[in-house]
Amino acid sequence: MSASLVEVEQVSKAYGGVQALSEVSLTIRAGETHALVGENGAGKSTLIKILSGAVSPDSGRVLVHGVPLAPGDVTGAEAAGIATIHQEFTAFPFLSAQDNIFVGHEPRHSGGWMLDRPRMRRETAALLERLGVDIAVDRPVGELPPSARQMVAMARAMSRQSRVLILDEPTALLSTRETSALFGVLRRLQEEGVGLLYVSHRLEEVFALADRVTVLRDGRWVDTSATKELDRDGLIRRMVGRDVNALTGSESASRMLGERVLEVRELSRTDVFQDISFSVRAGEIVGLAGLVGAGRSEIAQTIFGIDRPTSGSVTVAGKRLKPGSVREAVRSGVALVPEDRQHLGLVLPLPVGDNLVLSILRSLSVFGFRSSRRESALITRLLRDLAVRAAGARVPAHTLSGGNQQKLVLGKWLATTPRLLLLDEPTRGVDVGAKAEIYPLIRRLAAQGMATLLISSELPELLALSDRILVMRQGRLAGEVSGADASEEKVLSLALGEVPAAAVGRRQP
Amino acid sequence: MIHAFFFRYETLLGALLICLLFVARGMAPEFTTVETQSELLRHVWETALLTLPLTLILISGGIDLSIGSIMALCAVVLGMAFEAGLSPYVGALLALLTGLGAGALNGVFVAYVRVHPLIVTLATLAAYRGVAEGISLGRPISGFPPGFVLLGQGDAAGVVFAFLALAAALALARTSGGLSLYAMGYNETASRFSGIAVDRIKLLRDTLSGAAWARAAVFFVARRNTAKADIGQGIELDVIAMVVLGGTSVFGGRGGIIGTVLGILLIHETREFVGWQWSRDELNLIVLGALLILSVLAHRLFLPRGEKSRRNLILLIGEPAMTGRFLSFSIAAALALSLSGCAKTSERQQCSGCRNRHGCRVR
Amino acid sequence: MTASSRLLALLTRLARQREYGVLALLCLMVCTVTLVNPAFAAPANLRDLLVKAAPVVMVACGMTFVIVAGEIDISVGSLMGLLAAILGTLTSASHWGLPVSVGIAITLLIGLLVGLINGVLVTVGRVPSIIVTLGMLTLLQGVTEIVLAGEWIKDLPPGLRVWGVGTWLGLPIPVGAAVLVFAACFVLARETPLGRRIYAVGGNPQAARLLGLSVTRIKLFTFMLTGLLTAAATVVSVPQLSVVESGIGKGFELLVITCVVVGGTSIRGGRGSLTGSLLAALLLGTVGTVLIFLRLGEMSTYWERAIQGGFILLAVLADHAARRGGGAAPAGQES
Repeated sequence: MSASLVEVEQVSKAYGGVQALSEVSLTIRAGETHALVGENGAGKSTLIKILSGAVSPDSGRVLVHGVPLAPGDVTGAEAAGIATIHQEFTAFPFLSAQDNIFVGHEPRHSGGWMLDRPRMRRETAALLERLGVDIAVDRPVGELPPSARQMVAMARAMSRQSRVLILDEPTALLSTRETSALFGVLRRLQEEGVGLLYVSHRLEEVFALADRVTVLRDGRWVDTSATKELDRDGLIRRMVGRDVNALTGSESASRMLGERVLEVRELSRTDVFQDISFSVRAGEIVGLAGLVGAGRSEIAQTIFGIDRPTSGSVTVAGKRLKPGSVREAVRSGVALVPEDRQHLGLVLPLPVGDNLVLSILRSLSVFGFRSSRRESALITRLLRDLAVRAAGARVPAHTLSGGNQQKLVLGKWLATTPRLLLLDEPTRGVDVGAKAEIYPLIRRLAAQGMATLLISSELPELLALSDRILVMRQGRLAGEVSGADASEEKVLSLALGEVPAAAVGRRQP
Repeated sequence: MIHAFFFRYETLLGALLICLLFVARGMAPEFTTVETQSELLRHVWETALLTLPLTLILISGGIDLSIGSIMALCAVVLGMAFEAGLSPYVGALLALLTGLGAGALNGVFVAYVRVHPLIVTLATLAAYRGVAEGISLGRPISGFPPGFVLLGQGDAAGVVFAFLALAAALALARTSGGLSLYAMGYNETASRFSGIAVDRIKLLRDTLSGAAWARAAVFFVARRNTAKADIGQGIELDVIAMVVLGGTSVFGGRGGIIGTVLGILLIHETREFVGWQWSRDELNLIVLGALLILSVLAHRLFLPRGEKSRRNLILLIGEPAMTGRFLSFSIAAALALSLSGCAKTSERQQCSGCRNRHGCRVR
Repeated sequence: MTASSRLLALLTRLARQREYGVLALLCLMVCTVTLVNPAFAAPANLRDLLVKAAPVVMVACGMTFVIVAGEIDISVGSLMGLLAAILGTLTSASHWGLPVSVGIAITLLIGLLVGLINGVLVTVGRVPSIIVTLGMLTLLQGVTEIVLAGEWIKDLPPGLRVWGVGTWLGLPIPVGAAVLVFAACFVLARETPLGRRIYAVGGNPQAARLLGLSVTRIKLFTFMLTGLLTAAATVVSVPQLSVVESGIGKGFELLVITCVVVGGTSIRGGRGSLTGSLLAALLLGTVGTVLIFLRLGEMSTYWERAIQGGFILLAVLADHAARRGGGAAPAGQES
């Protein structure tokens, strides 16, 4: 049970001048789940890339069954039995599920020139059966739901008969139910003797699944210990290097609610969401819960004018918004912090300062000409207020860490002095330390009278921040939970439309 | 900051241009005289004027392959209006309107049907010229009145270009619209999510550039005294080559007017010098093609400040600090040598315009 | 799901399968023109049509792979011009007078070589393919002028003429070559690991790299294939001409790219169909002849290019309508 499958010995890697990893070691044993945790930028992704052969280390080596792995050789790593499911969406959207599973190691006949289609079909069916999922194998993967794509990635990893499976944030796109299905598969693999390296920001999952946990901080190894001997706070302390209590801090004193800022009435978009009505008042934080794909982000984007609704209306501060016009939404004081900050929130190659003024270019300029005096005053104030750690306003935004990028997106919208803040997964992929800064900020804004609609897949976050929580299921509002009687079970049962016995039981933190 | 300057693509282009002129001076002294240069430069401004809108288009993530076709369509409209008995000036106005319309149609497809601009303008490249051929049946129309023909002989094109280039550079650097164009080019979706009216800007951009192509067509017809459906054939590739050589990315977001001006001058001087020295057009084509590929290759391999390009650069010419010194030295040397050459010729000719010329080129 | 929405989904899927749309348009056009003027359906005329479309089909097959891999090659027209000049110079008795087989072999090699250079500059040099091939387009024109030195080559040997005008088992050789090329490419695309990898690389290059696919080698292959097929197309099309001059191949690249795009291949890579490209090549190749046979007057052929451009716009509008019609949009953010 405890034979070492993979040994990582003193691996180091530097990018430019930045030491991403220094002398990190860890082992993965057969049949164990080894969790790898750490804040963003702690070096987890780099370690995974080295293990999968996508990146070659500057020093140190990786042994599989005692045999050193050729550095920077993806095919070699796969041949040695290491399969990786990367965090980025690694499927090929236009290829069928079958082709996705086998591309790169296709079964062949006729002297290696032709695909062995019958064998591909047979093996695909067998793999999917083992995973317990039913997927249309001939459809392009891009047309499948995210969870099915994740399963295709799993099937791909298993098709190599891998001895070691590396999973980088595998549940980021999955609903609770799909997560528990995935966990079932992972446990079965574990029983078959496969070693798992599991990377996740969701600590509940780490405690539910892992046997041992290794913590990285700033590219260095901090600690490896058995999950049994750890508690949540202890783990966070190791990750951050200090105490963090703001995370689930109790709700601040009840706020004064003002007039209705947002009024959504019978809003519908064909095939996406139907008949949505709710309102948000000044100083109120309304949570929006639901599974991925329930239509939450789409509602926020429709309110913001990115998409056009098929029917219904959005009224902000008494004024009905023209559908499909971002400019008018912004002018009426709506701000959207989107889910995918890398693609939607920021223009990464542009300087930090330019990103901050992008949403208020018009009001900062005089006859179309930019005023550097006004701009720099605003930029300095925002960077200070939000405590953004950046090497100045002129460095490109992509040099910032995830948490600081998120603060930048927030800052860019606070610059417009909005009345209504739509937050879509404001802490996704953000490390614990940055979360501890973002939560109080959201509360402070609400105390100053901001109306906030908070979309989040993390129930503890929703429960800690929201005054009341709207729950969506399959494009419709399934119900509302508020105040004292809000609990994870209640929200989940509304979101799933059933009592989720198994899923909830296992995922209690 | 000094370092940043030496790692700029524009610096590389400038150095190349100076080296070229220096070599040219050595091989054919009369090529670099003020008279020759100003005479040769007269022909470049018409094409150069087309590069300014295209630079803005490329920066904001678009591309336009239909430049020559829109010109042809506008020229034919002008010609047929004239043939129908209208004043050529009214014809010019109609041509301008045609350009606006053709550009707007491009813009509608790009902005509202959301088709890749390469595809849209590939389609209209064929369609507009096809319509021009169809309505004119391929005939040339000539015999414009002398007053109109004089319009095409204008020597003011250089001044107009300088003025417009300055305006465009200023607009890109100092206006909110300029930043919007860069932001769109880098990341259109994020710009949309920032409340930038991406679609409206695209439509406006393509419509106005349509008018710019139409204006070029009118001057072209006036100069040739002929309107025919084959004018401007392939001119888009010329213009794109100038802009791209100037360092503007075909993927949007990166680029600028200074680079474009240098790109124009570099292509122009190369072309004229090769023509002057060997008078063989085919050599010109080869040199230009190679120049385009090699300069962008150098740009991709050495100039961006990534780990890999640093390594490449160090492999090629040693440590960056050394390179900076080397580059500054070589530029200074080239400047000094060409100025001394100037001084020498000044014994025979006056040199006032010469210094002026260098001042303009080094920028 | 209701019956009507299921029907809508079916129609959407059909509309998204561009092959059917192009095929319908082609049938419609051929039927109309045959009704108006039965002479159109004469075997000799159809044969001419196919012979004319053959080189376009051959190069379009290669181009489909290049575009599916996420790149573009606008130098094929110039390359064809250069190869025509080389083939002519090598084989004509008044020039080098080499045996036809040697001339053809050298032509194919040079096509392959130019494809290799394009590919290396794009993959290793990381220069955008549109710039590489734009530069190559200009450069090759210059080389062609040098090769021809301003002359026209009129005395192509009969041994070479056969490749353009001869028949094999009753099939014109150019058509036979095109059928062969298409069949080989079709199998390559669907039934070989390499073909699937081309689609993978175009669909998601990042992921392909993480899976250990050699993006460099795969893209290189598509460029070399296109170079080779351009050479092959030259071999079967140039001997049909009475003279070799420097104007050969002008605008050919646009015609080929138009075919590929009308045939439903996405310019963003990852998606595309050889059948679509083939049908579109036939469609666009037929337009000119149809205009003549519709007897709209002599001058109507001037509208050929306008109609070709119109087809692209029609194709993109069909795409737009299909997207609007519902169904899952392709995944991934466009940025």
